[in-house]
Amino acid sequence: MKKIIVEKLKYRYPMTGKLALDNLSFTVEQGELIGIIGANGAGKSTLCLALTGLVPHFYRGAYGGKVVIDGLEVIKSEISELALHVGIVFQNPFTQVTGSKLTVYEEIAFGLENMGLDRSEMTARIDEALHLLDISQLKDRDPFQLSGGQMQRMAIASVIAMKPGILVLDEPTSQLDPQGSDEVFKAVRRLAKEGMTVIIAEHKIEKIAAYADRVLVLYNGRLIDFDTPHKIFSRTDLLSYGVPAPVYTQICQALGIQHPRSGTYPVTLEEAYLAMVNQHGDSLC
Amino acid sequence: MKTVKSMSLYVPGNSIIHRLEPITKLIYVMVAGVLPFILPANPTAVLCLAVTLAMLTISKTLTKVIPLTGFTLLVLLSILFIQGLFHEHNQTFLFRFGPFVFFKEGLSYAARISLRVINLLLGISLLSLTTKPSDLIDSLVRRGLSPKIGYVLSSVLQIIPQMAASVNAITDAQRARGLETEGPLIVRAKAFLPLIGPVIMSSLIQARERAMALEVRGFNANRRKTFLRAANQSSRQTTIRILLILILFAAIVWRIFA
Repeated sequence: MKKIIVEKLKYRYPMTGKLALDNLSFTVEQGELIGIIGANGAGKSTLCLALTGLVPHFYRGAYGGKVVIDGLEVIKSEISELALHVGIVFQNPFTQVTGSKLTVYEEIAFGLENMGLDRSEMTARIDEALHLLDISQLKDRDPFQLSGGQMQRMAIASVIAMKPGILVLDEPTSQLDPQGSDEVFKAVRRLAKEGMTVIIAEHKIEKIAAYADRVLVLYNGRLIDFDTPHKIFSRTDLLSYGVPAPVYTQICQALGIQHPRSGTYPVTLEEAYLAMVNQHGDSLC
Repeated sequence: MKTVKSMSLYVPGNSIIHRLEPITKLIYVMVAGVLPFILPANPTAVLCLAVTLAMLTISKTLTKVIPLTGFTLLVLLSILFIQGLFHEHNQTFLFRFGPFVFFKEGLSYAARISLRVINLLLGISLLSLTTKPSDLIDSLVRRGLSPKIGYVLSSVLQIIPQMAASVNAITDAQRARGLETEGPLIVRAKAFLPLIGPVIMSSLIQARERAMALEVRGFNANRRKTFLRAANQSSRQTTIRILLILILFAAIVWRIFA
């Protein structure tokens, strides 16, 4: 089932001459985890905003084409209506704290109160989100007293608790340490397995390679490619779009180690190791 | 950025006063604050004060009142001093303190004002110290206050300190790049100008991002809002509220006809 349909999407911010999104077309199936990669200014954040309706409802500007989210055409729907289908976590967790709640627990409840859920459902969802992001111990803390990483996890938990069909994360691990990043990716991977469609714009290429089902490459607002991580990171021209391949892929490319059947290069450490063992046998050990 | 505590005065606790519905406390504060203006001031104010002090003691927040009321007490002391000395109806000599001669009329007038103010102040302190601002706002929203106004009221307590922290961070950044921010008044005034731009811009950007974050969390969703906190709608609380309002009406009636 197609959860996201983007057709010939074009968008230009007000008072700028350049298209931030230039003729994008793609579809995403339910339960897919999609990684969006690209250099700074490629249009990753703008695409995230377009997938939630904030472009063009919040950010005006020139808009063309069509985005359909969960059967709702974005331009014809209110953000408040879209919010029940698609959730977004922005780069800066600080500005996502509502500022009206005194504890993390209440902060996560904010969206659920607006959705009109009854109390038992609310507490069950909050506990689940706290557990999933491993922040149960922070539930009574003041949201503004959290560190950047803790705040980022709370922001993700706040949106996950609303259980949107589609979850958009714009650099969700920018303030997290490697272990924290891993936990967030594992959590969203699990959500995708349960049927949530997840879109992640991210610079941490290794994480995208390891967790994404498909990867969308943007460059100057244009869609360069949209395929599996293996096919994307095996492209030899990837660096010319400002995106390096994962370091394991680069090593395998340098050594000429490929998957024998597909001809693509390994994208994770485990895959690289297995491919090396397969190709060179025991001489590696 | 440095984190800053919320402006809320709430002291966590689980006393019977903490558990009272915020609206009940709000009605109590209003009634207790207004009664000394309607009924004979001194005995009423003393009675209300005694009740408020008892509630503060039960909620274990009595010691927190002192820093809150310290400055006002200083002002009231000066009123006692000035009225005791210079009130226009001063006639009856009471006592002499060095070169100062105090009169009964002035002191009794100042005492009446002081009692009313302290009564009001302690009532408000009781409400602030034993009620989470978000609970009070929730209660008001449940009774028809617009959620948008409710949000503005509750967020102000948290967001203003954060904005102050942003100003400090921007000041530090400017200082690190050589801006003189300390010294004579003229130097400080000069330093103020380069701060205005970044402070306003960052506040606007943050406000816009926060507005988006609220929007995508269904703030404007056309659904009936529910609340995490259960409303404490016991019949006992309703009785207390009705009783308080009846006392207020009785006082007004007494004032009109007596």
